[in-house]
Amino acid sequence: MNAKHNLEELEKIATRLRLHVVDMVAPSGQGYVQQGLGAADIFASLYFAEATMDPENPDWEDRDRVFLTTAHNTAIFYATLAERGFFNTDLLSTYVTDGSTLEINSSERMGTFVEATCGSLGQGLSVAIGCALAAKRQGRASRFYVIVGDGEMQEGQIWEAAMLAGSKGLDNLCLIVDYNFVQSEGPMDLVMSLEPLMDKMQSFGFACQEVDGNDIGALLSAYGTARETSGQPTFIKANTMMGKGVASLEGLMFHQLKFPPEVAASARAELEAQL
Amino acid sequence: MSDTLTKLEAADFINRSFKPLPRSYGDALIEAALADERIVALCADLVPPTETDRFRDELPERFLNTGIAEANMIGMAGGMARSGEIPFCHSFCAFITKRVLDQITMQAAYPNLPVKIVGFLPGVATLLGVSHQAIEDVAIMRAVPNMAIFEPSGPEYHAAMVKLALDWDGPAYLRMKRPETTPAPFEPQSLEVGKGVVRRAGGDVTLISAGLCVVESLNAADLLASEGIDACVVDMASIKPIDAELILEVAAATGAIVTVENHNVIGGLGSAVAEVLMDEGIGLPFKRVGVQDQFCEGGTTPYLMNKFGLDAAAIVDAARGVMKKKD
Repeated sequence: MNAKHNLEELEKIATRLRLHVVDMVAPSGQGYVQQGLGAADIFASLYFAEATMDPENPDWEDRDRVFLTTAHNTAIFYATLAERGFFNTDLLSTYVTDGSTLEINSSERMGTFVEATCGSLGQGLSVAIGCALAAKRQGRASRFYVIVGDGEMQEGQIWEAAMLAGSKGLDNLCLIVDYNFVQSEGPMDLVMSLEPLMDKMQSFGFACQEVDGNDIGALLSAYGTARETSGQPTFIKANTMMGKGVASLEGLMFHQLKFPPEVAASARAELEAQL
Repeated sequence: MSDTLTKLEAADFINRSFKPLPRSYGDALIEAALADERIVALCADLVPPTETDRFRDELPERFLNTGIAEANMIGMAGGMARSGEIPFCHSFCAFITKRVLDQITMQAAYPNLPVKIVGFLPGVATLLGVSHQAIEDVAIMRAVPNMAIFEPSGPEYHAAMVKLALDWDGPAYLRMKRPETTPAPFEPQSLEVGKGVVRRAGGDVTLISAGLCVVESLNAADLLASEGIDACVVDMASIKPIDAELILEVAAATGAIVTVENHNVIGGLGSAVAEVLMDEGIGLPFKRVGVQDQFCEGGTTPYLMNKFGLDAAAIVDAARGVMKKKD
């Protein structure tokens, strides 16, 4: 069920996930490298320590559910699912090739571990809230984790959903924003800032925490606090760095890049040196 | 570790790997905007993919990136149009039709305002999968009163799309496709609201098509010619209002019709052509080529066109089928 790895193991896992991200995107240049590297610590901590799930029985009704509502951040998502045992890591090499179920935007045709088909931004939080409300009615102890992108929070539906979660005091819901500060056009404040985000979420009824989203220890502690919170949904603003873990890519704010072979080779060498 | 790069080197490699594609739509929009100061552009944070980067850079005071918030974009466009402006709104086809249908209906179509809805990624043609595939958009938009729908068969018709959108006084939907490569030079025929274009004459069967499927239809016509079947190919760039006169004319001249669309076969171009024929009481061998009422998946465009039966081979099959029924 819970993988329950210690911090050192989790950091190794995150590095392995990053290596997969590089290997998956390198052949075609399709996919999101910088975001995948940036979010690796959120995925490692959530899937390998916090969330209770059973890869042998992915339909288990009492599982904790993770909704990736920024459904295009799939290189890291699929790497995580494969390493966690939901499918064979060999499949990762089919990423974004014709006929593969490993599409850029994740689809539930892969299996129930894709809890909802998102991709059209801003929709996943509502679905998670629906599941969380149903779980309350059914007396299940499951928790519902939602990873949204920061740019995605510009969608109005996010705020409709957040308002409802707050008003219902939905304490089995934990909303995590992968706050890498980049959207398609570039830095978020160039388009439309979310700030003051913590104040907004607090006023919507969430118990809020802000953490370094690349510090696995801090993430684990935030999940723990969230789990102990009752009567309120929780919000974790996880500040992540684009390209984290690969020194030559850290902080480069490319929403999309072609991933030239020289850059991919360097990234690979840098990550391998950490294992 | 000698093979690792510095951050500066990595950024340089990445910057040099971006290869800009032609922006025939974006260029035409800028040209129109320079000639008509009522034109403004809005974009829900997909600026390069909708070719609006030149507009952003050259007419910044008339450009608004609304953030990832399509419903608000369409509502605001309604307000701008009520204030004498002509807003061109940009996103992907799937989001700018399905996601905001109610806002389009109430704030653009009902007041019959010149809000121009510009979508990219038509039909199946994207790696991005089911969330980004618009296979119902034509059906949906066709059912909205006052709405016109135009679709270019290639980038050479992109400039004409801007003209058609402006020639139509009310709301219009442009179903655009970015070129994946630099297209070969081609002298386009002129387009008009409510007019189709005969791209190839032929007397045995007519292939009525739009968008990406026009090229497939022309290829199919070549294949059919080698079998002795002489196919007429119509580019129905004006899907709504549709060219009823031309449809009746080719029906009479060839006695068999195949419609071809990068869209579900329900409610799109095929349905529109059938409605024209039925309303005139004309029965003839007829087949709709298109997505067969199923969800698709991400992939390269040629792969998807083949897998979902939209390519020349599928059109040839359909044409053979209607020819048999003609006998």
